[in-house]
Amino acid sequence: MRSSRTLALIPAHNEAANLAAVVAGIRTHRPDLEILVVNDGSTDRTAAELERLGTRWLGWPRRRGVGCAVRAGLRYGSRFGFDVIVRLDADGQHDPRDIDALLAPLRTGRADAVMGSRYVESGRKARTVKRALAAILSFVSRRGVTDATSGFWALGPRAVALLATHHPRGYPEPELHLLLSRNGLTVAEVPVRDLERRGGRSSLTPSRLLRAAARVLLAIIIVPLRQRISP
Amino acid sequence: MTSRVQVVALIGSVAFLLLVLELVRRRRLAEEYCALWIVAALALLAASIRPDIIDRTATWLGIYYGPAVLLLGLVVVVSAVLLWMSVVLSEQQAQIDHLIEETAILGAELREGPRPSRSTAPLSGPTDSR
Repeated sequence: MRSSRTLALIPAHNEAANLAAVVAGIRTHRPDLEILVVNDGSTDRTAAELERLGTRWLGWPRRRGVGCAVRAGLRYGSRFGFDVIVRLDADGQHDPRDIDALLAPLRTGRADAVMGSRYVESGRKARTVKRALAAILSFVSRRGVTDATSGFWALGPRAVALLATHHPRGYPEPELHLLLSRNGLTVAEVPVRDLERRGGRSSLTPSRLLRAAARVLLAIIIVPLRQRISP
Repeated sequence: MTSRVQVVALIGSVAFLLLVLELVRRRRLAEEYCALWIVAALALLAASIRPDIIDRTATWLGIYYGPAVLLLGLVVVVSAVLLWMSVVLSEQQAQIDHLIEETAILGAELREGPRPSRSTAPLSGPTDSR
């Protein structure tokens, strides 16, 4: 496989408290990676923090959702010549030491996209709702999905090309499984560590979670009906 | 014999048609959206002038109560317009998403300098949205 340029993509909304540690973690474990933070309408000190950290960044004034932030980051990566993109959360729950494991199936050509699963091989069990969601996604995508809501992904060139234009909006992780499967891209899962959130509060409030669940159920019906996207 | 309701319907239909034409004239209604409203206004006008059209349509459809045809027509037209508006909204949302993301990337280019030459082909089409 020819050498590829890899970008670490971090969507962030009000994560000023965590960004420095997340960026430092990536720089320590994978100093070869360029880092792009997409500031999704943060109202805290995230923007100032980005200037201080000296990473690449994109941003807009109002919140549009993590799906839009990731799509913009993928579009940026595609434009700037990155053919592999690793997506991590900005809250510190993803361990940069797992990036190597995430990239391995891409390097060997075994998969177009790799998801870091918090439940495969770990013996941990997801909550009932997440387990049910994973079971439904496994059934619809005809592939074993153990972690329906993981935001720790490595995307190869085919996935980057597809998702730079068509990445789902809103709460995108479950729909991402459906979209990749619908368009014939192969997805692998590798076990990753699940760290505690470093600080701040999760933006996933109960009402937002409920809306996300409704949207996911809708996607389960809609996405398989949609036309395939030609690359 | 012209009934009172017929006169009211006629005045209402003409006023509606004039309103649509005036909105087009003032460029507050784009051409692609005015066609449906002009057709709707003309249909109302025709039904006001010749109310027997409603009765004949009712008979043809097997509806015993003539005025129910008007309600049926209204429901069909409003549903069609709402669906059409949803399509237009979806397209506009995709365009707005596309513009926001392009603007953000342009801002990054201004900060970082031009992108490398080996991957300069822009991605085609506006952003997909649900």
